[in-house]
Amino acid sequence: MLINTILLFLQSALPIFIVISLLLLRFTTTSASLFTNKNLSFIIVLAISLVFLLSQYMEGISQLFDGKGTELVFSLGFILIYFCSALLFLFDNKDRLINVKKILALMVFLLVLSLNGSHFILYLTSYWTQSLPLSSGVESLFIGIILAVGICVSFAILLYFLLRYSDTSIHIKTSCYFLLFFATGQLMQSIVLLQQVDVLPLSSIIWNSTDFIAEKSEFGQLLRVLFGYETTPSFMQLIIYLTAFTVPVFISKSRYFFRLAYGEKS
Amino acid sequence: MTKQSPKSYTIFLLCNLLFLFSLIVEAKRPEYHLDLKNHLFYPAQIIIPANKKIKLVIHNRDNSAEEFSSFDLNREKVIFSKKTSTIFVGPLPVGEYSFFGEYHPNSARGKVIVEKNSNPDVSHDALSPKQGGRNVN
Repeated sequence: MLINTILLFLQSALPIFIVISLLLLRFTTTSASLFTNKNLSFIIVLAISLVFLLSQYMEGISQLFDGKGTELVFSLGFILIYFCSALLFLFDNKDRLINVKKILALMVFLLVLSLNGSHFILYLTSYWTQSLPLSSGVESLFIGIILAVGICVSFAILLYFLLRYSDTSIHIKTSCYFLLFFATGQLMQSIVLLQQVDVLPLSSIIWNSTDFIAEKSEFGQLLRVLFGYETTPSFMQLIIYLTAFTVPVFISKSRYFFRLAYGEKS
Repeated sequence: MTKQSPKSYTIFLLCNLLFLFSLIVEAKRPEYHLDLKNHLFYPAQIIIPANKKIKLVIHNRDNSAEEFSSFDLNREKVIFSKKTSTIFVGPLPVGEYSFFGEYHPNSARGKVIVEKNSNPDVSHDALSPKQGGRNVN
C-alpha cells in the first residue's frame, strides 16, 4: 500500500512539479512573474476544480465514443499541452507577447495538473470505495503521499537550479529546449492512447531497449516523464517524436537558415 | 434540383466502400476477454497469435475501479466498477508480456503469451481456467 501510493503519486505528480519548475524558471528570468498575488488564489481554485471535475466525470467520459472517451479526451489534452509548449518555445524571445505567453503557460500548467491529478484522485476514490478497515491503509496512504510530495519537491528544486545554472552558464535556452522535450514526451502519451483504442494504426516495434533501461525501473519512469522515453517504440512514434521536436526548432532557427542560404545582404 | 456529376457519385461510392471495408477489418479482429474479480484477473494467462492485432475486452466485476497496466504491452486503462473496457494489443513478436492491476499490483497480475502457432479459431470462455476467452466477431 505504502510503496504503491508512492509510485502512483510520483507517476501522477512528477509531471506537475516538473512543469511548475520549468514555467517558473522561464517566467522569472523574463522578469514577468506568472503567478501574482492577485491571480494565485484564482489559479489554485481553478486547478483544484478542474482536477475534481475531471475525476468526477471520468466514468461518464470513459463510456463516450464507444468506450474510447478517456483516450480521446486525454490525447486531446496532451496534444494541447504540446502545441501550447511549442508556441511558448517559439515566442521565447518575443517580450511583447508576454500576455499570450502567460495564457499559454497557464494552459500548460492547468492541463498537466488536471490530466495527471485526476488520475491520482481515481486511485484514492478506488481505495475509499473498498470495504477495508480504515485504519489498515489510511496511515500508509498519508505517509506515502507525504514521502512522494517530498521526492517531487526535491526533484523540482534540483531541476530548477540545474536548469537555471545551465541557462546562465551553458546555453541561454536550455530550459526552453527542455520544455519542448517535455512537451514532446506528453505528445507521445497521446499517440500511445490513440493506438490503444485503434484510432492510430499499431505498427511493429523498431527496437527494444528493455535490457538497457527498463521502462518499469525508477530511472525509466523518470525518463518517460521527462522526455517520453519508450523501450519499444514503433516507427510511427519515432517519426512523430522527431517531427514534433525538430519542426519548432527549425521554425525558431528559420531566420538563421534563411541568412545562411541567401547571404547576409538579402 | 442540382444535377450531381458522376465524379461525386464515384467519391460517394468509394467512401462507402472504404467505410464498409473498415467495418470488415474491425469485425475480423480476434477478440479476447478478461475478467477482473476480487482483484484477480481471470484467466491469468491469455494466449494470442504472433504478429496479429487483437482486441482485449476487460470486464471489471469488482466494486472498485482498477487500472489495467502493462509496461511490456505499453498499455494503461482505468476500468470503472461494473464496467467493460476495450483496448487493442499487438502486432507482437513471440514472447511473454506481463500485465497487472495498478491499484492492486500484488493480487491482480497476469500474462499475455504470444505464440507463433496459436490457433486463432479456438474459442474460450472468459472465466475458463485454461486460457484467454476469445471470440471472433
